[in-house]
Amino acid sequence: MNPQILKDLQAFYPEITLTATLLAVILIDLAAPRIRQATTFLFTAIGLLLALALTFPLFAAKSGTLFYGMVALDPMAVFFKGFLIITSFLILLVAPGSKEIAKEHIGEFYTLLLGVTLGMVLLASATDMLMLFLALEMVSVSSYIMVGYLSTERQSNEASLKYFLFGAVSTGSMLYGITLLFGLTGTTKLVLIREAIIHGAGDGNNGLMLLIATIFIMAGFGFKTASVPFHFWCPDVYTGAPTPVTAFLSVGPKAAGFATLIRFFFTGLSDTAGSIWGFFPAMNWALLVLMISIITMTLGNIAALRQENLKRMLAYSSIAHAGYILMGVVVLTPQGLQSVLVYLITYLFMNLGAFMVVIEVYNRTGSFELNDYRGLWRRSPFLTIAMTIFMLSLMGIPPFAGFFGKLYVFGAAVNHNLAWFAVLGALNSVIAVYYYARVIKTMIIDAEPEGAQAPPISLSWTSHILMWAMLLPTAGLMLFWDRIQEITSNSITLFFG
Amino acid sequence: MDTNILTQIVFYFFAAMTVLSAVVVVFSKNLIHSAFALLFTFFGVAALYVFLGADFLAATQMVIYVGGILVLLIFGVMLTHKIAEMQLKSETFQFWPGLALVSVVFLGLVFVMLKTTWHSAVVQEMKPTTAAIGELFMTDYILPFEVASVFLLIALIGAAMIVRRRSQ
Amino acid sequence: MIGLSHYLIISAALFSLGIMAVMTRKNAVNVLMGVELILNSANLNLVAFSRYAWMNLDGQLYAVFVIVIAAAEAAVGLAIVLSMYRLLKSVNLDKADTLKG
Repeated sequence: MNPQILKDLQAFYPEITLTATLLAVILIDLAAPRIRQATTFLFTAIGLLLALALTFPLFAAKSGTLFYGMVALDPMAVFFKGFLIITSFLILLVAPGSKEIAKEHIGEFYTLLLGVTLGMVLLASATDMLMLFLALEMVSVSSYIMVGYLSTERQSNEASLKYFLFGAVSTGSMLYGITLLFGLTGTTKLVLIREAIIHGAGDGNNGLMLLIATIFIMAGFGFKTASVPFHFWCPDVYTGAPTPVTAFLSVGPKAAGFATLIRFFFTGLSDTAGSIWGFFPAMNWALLVLMISIITMTLGNIAALRQENLKRMLAYSSIAHAGYILMGVVVLTPQGLQSVLVYLITYLFMNLGAFMVVIEVYNRTGSFELNDYRGLWRRSPFLTIAMTIFMLSLMGIPPFAGFFGKLYVFGAAVNHNLAWFAVLGALNSVIAVYYYARVIKTMIIDAEPEGAQAPPISLSWTSHILMWAMLLPTAGLMLFWDRIQEITSNSITLFFG
Repeated sequence: MDTNILTQIVFYFFAAMTVLSAVVVVFSKNLIHSAFALLFTFFGVAALYVFLGADFLAATQMVIYVGGILVLLIFGVMLTHKIAEMQLKSETFQFWPGLALVSVVFLGLVFVMLKTTWHSAVVQEMKPTTAAIGELFMTDYILPFEVASVFLLIALIGAAMIVRRRSQ
Repeated sequence: MIGLSHYLIISAALFSLGIMAVMTRKNAVNVLMGVELILNSANLNLVAFSRYAWMNLDGQLYAVFVIVIAAAEAAVGLAIVLSMYRLLKSVNLDKADTLKG
């Protein structure tokens, strides 16, 4: 075999582990029903942890591209690898506890989870448009299936169909844009595209084509990150899918989408001069992303105000958060990039935590409606306090994690003379307070409906541990602050060729 | 070869076949007609690939698109309609605004495409591509190649999982 | 004289027709056909650029992978459509709208 490929394989252990685990789980799932549930779970867990462990040494590796320029190995890719594997691991822990995941063929669910993790990891490190598209489709198709996991439930099926149709069109349009970009530059490798544009591939008349190609490509990115105007699938899909899948979608593919968006724009379409990224005169993509960011956060927040279904509300909330994250991308500085990474870390824990509470309540009450959260304070003080902390964090109240995420993003904007942008973000956060606070009020203050009092809720010890695992980072992020600062500032290096 | 008048006639024939059958796919009220028109579209595209010197790709297009995807689509059409309802009209909604919008998109795309100065390479003699593609699969494109196989595996398992009859 | 622009116009037509199908057709299988049209138009672009603009094989390789991806997507899409049909006895998208948009 080619020595170059053999050498690249040594930097590819996490992905190899994921694939090997995937194949192993498929085979184990053929075993007897009694043992396969536990065995597949165990193997998936071990596989994910092993992949995570193999990711850490990669931080120290030399930056470069692997497999003839298909994927990059740089600190940002390694950061996202770790982040995405952790996300999948947490979802793995949550999924069996939810009543919505049918236990009978759960081995297939684990298989899909591993597959989508592999796809996300590749997506976050792809430096070639072909690899990018392939990984994007891998994540998307696996997600369509996961959403339709309850194929006998009408809502799950409908959500899956809507997700599929919307996704296929968005990624198809993105592909069309990629082909136009290929036509302009003659290559699919991001670094070579950048060089071609520097040498004039987008000048004069071609600038319009470049703009159109980029807009088409944004269709795919917008779809994956649920930004306006490609967010239409989000509320319906989040509501219809099994809640563990919704929780996963709100963090995993979204983060991977941001990773690839950053890599595409920063290494494909910008002109580096020192540590400040500029943009080509032909194409002011920063302005485009800025407008998308503002519209996204505003629309998400305003739409969430009217929602009575908790999953739907969290869907619009996650759309709004995508807007805040985009703010960090628009600010073309290392601080901006770091703010995106910090925000994603905080968002992971507070969002997953909120969804975990929703899962627990659904397991006991069978409902996602806000009305059925009334009097939760009496039934389970622990869940209520946990949810309150997650809501406060999502609002951005100090000292919780969400505050730091917003602080970083707004701070990056202010430092780059975009103070008005930060003010808009802050105003949006104020609007958001209403619907997050409404949940808290319903749980603690609202009186329960007349009639038989519902019994108290007691959580299994696994649920307790998981909830604490989400609460600690959300409430106590300040304690880990130095470590997070260190990790994120080391992770913003992208490979530029 | 490109200036040969016969070549041009054949090209325009296949181009017309492709676009016109695509029109039937989109606007026909009968779903079976749409499915069979799609067959001609795929075939036309394969012919255009041959004109562009992509012989391996043309064969792949025929085998996978016509032999695989189209058959799957026709199965889908058949299985989701009772046989007696084969004349069922698929309703359309918001037709005229959609047509207007799409026409604008089309004209806009064509305008920008014609205005752009595309790089033009020295067009060489057409060579068989299969060997070169095979070699590229094993060197430059080995990672997408392997990832695509895992992707297909997952799609296979997932599709079977969704359609399997649940024992309720 | 057949040139690059001929192929680009054909692909733009296919793309537009695909978008039209996706936007206006109510039958899910029809929408899937529209998606296939879009993917084919992109493939045509790739191969045309590959030959006329840059004379390399990258475009053709890319097109092979797109065909593979399209096959997988079509399979999963049809599985979802079939599953919905079993539940609803219809693949009319109007009936599949209980989730409030």
